[in-house]
Amino acid sequence: MTKVLTVSVPKYWEVAKVNFSNSTTYLTNVLARSATVVIRIWIFTQLYRVTYAVSGSHVIGGMTVSMVIWTLMFTQGFQTATRPGVIRLIDEEVKSGNLAYSLNRPYSYLLFHYFSHLGRLVPILFANIVIGILATVVLAGPINITGIGILAGIILLFFGYTLDFLISFMVGLTAFWVEDTSAFNWIYQKGQMVFGGNILPLALFPPGLRAIAELTPFSQLFYGSAQTIVNFTMGNFLKFLSVQLFWVVIFAMLAVYLFRKGGRNVSINGG
Amino acid sequence: MFLSTVAKYINLSFEIIKTNILTAMEYRTSFLIQVLGMIVNDTALIFVWVIFFKQFNQINGWTFADTAMLYAVTTINFGLVMAFFRGSFELARTIARGELDYFLALPKNVLWHVSISRSEISALGDTIFGIIIFFFAGDVTVEKAGLFVFYVLISTIILFSFTVITQSMAFWFGNFEEAAEQIFHSLIGFTLYPQTVFHGLLKIVMLTLIPAFFIATLPVQLIRNFDPVLTVVMLVYAASIFCIAVIIFTAGLRSYESGNLINVRI
Repeated sequence: MTKVLTVSVPKYWEVAKVNFSNSTTYLTNVLARSATVVIRIWIFTQLYRVTYAVSGSHVIGGMTVSMVIWTLMFTQGFQTATRPGVIRLIDEEVKSGNLAYSLNRPYSYLLFHYFSHLGRLVPILFANIVIGILATVVLAGPINITGIGILAGIILLFFGYTLDFLISFMVGLTAFWVEDTSAFNWIYQKGQMVFGGNILPLALFPPGLRAIAELTPFSQLFYGSAQTIVNFTMGNFLKFLSVQLFWVVIFAMLAVYLFRKGGRNVSINGG
Repeated sequence: MFLSTVAKYINLSFEIIKTNILTAMEYRTSFLIQVLGMIVNDTALIFVWVIFFKQFNQINGWTFADTAMLYAVTTINFGLVMAFFRGSFELARTIARGELDYFLALPKNVLWHVSISRSEISALGDTIFGIIIFFFAGDVTVEKAGLFVFYVLISTIILFSFTVITQSMAFWFGNFEEAAEQIFHSLIGFTLYPQTVFHGLLKIVMLTLIPAFFIATLPVQLIRNFDPVLTVVMLVYAASIFCIAVIIFTAGLRSYESGNLINVRI
């Protein structure tokens, strides 16, 4: 009944493809998202230019103004591609009872949603990044990005999306036990906002707080990848990767456990 | 005649809001989790700025106290619209799904009715947070508190009107739900940061396309330093954008096509 992990790649590839097409159908939405990205980068450019000018420093925490803007662009571009979020989707499936229909289908519920999620986010991610890069080049100026930095960043991004999915999946599943999951959703979102480097890159944090923030799962979602692309060092990449994999394993186990536990609450009536 | 109509609407609004709150309170645990969750949520947001201003004391004269005032204003105006006029945030979806039919058949004003028909109870948490954070925003006097209430109410009207304008685009564009949400996120984006950093073309955007200046910058400035001329400017702006919202919604309503949807409202 509660098949959580059943691997059959072509099936999930098709799931990802269908969701990819859905995401590209509504052009107005994609454009609106892109405009939001541009405005955000514009705001960050003005905020950090003034901030650096006031502080009188060209480099803070190893980052120039341009590097800060590029890091924020990547972090937010990666993060906003995940909307509409998995939390709301799972929450609705649990509450509406649609989850029950999925359980006896020949796929793993978790993997089905994982690949749907990846399929949905790819076109939005692509649009975010293309528009984000163009806007950042114009507004903040180009920076030096290495090939190895991009490669390392993509690896971290893949695991970042996996981690985000697992946490969101778990939060969504709490609908089995609580009436409304939105409070957990906000806390997760704001955890990202504080420790995920969405507004203030962790490189600009006071050193003690920075060390703590870099160990939280929030910074492993998208900031690690963004920081690695912008300012690659092998040491930092390996540090991010190991912390990230630690959290992926922990949350994968928790997600499977929670799904099995919640699955026992499902009662299917014929008819 | 006009006054008695206004009184009727106020009375009816009060009754609907009361029912919405009582309905939400039926699920007491959920109600408390939502309200407290939102307060925790807002506290986390302001914590970013505690860290920021620990690193950089002030930005062009803007200090943490100003950010506290900014958050006090914006969480309350946002909280009020969401708590009492949540329907305005769902207009695009309501239009796209042809669900306006229900409101069209009733004798009261459609925009008023559809807006007040839904409540986001968690937004009461925003409002509570806004009131608390006001006390961290510098010296609190009776005069400042009065100005605070006045400007928050005016900015609430502006926020509501802007929401109606963007959501009403669904009358012409069909699926505009996500786009309207993104435009709203852009507006919120402006209200999170020290307002003294914005300049040039971006400032013009804040004054025109996305009225963040009137929702965030100006109220904070006027609470700090009362200015009668700017107050009149804000009032005129609020009245104008409200009228524009009503005109756009009414024009859209004429091109609205029913979804012939049969559903049951419980």
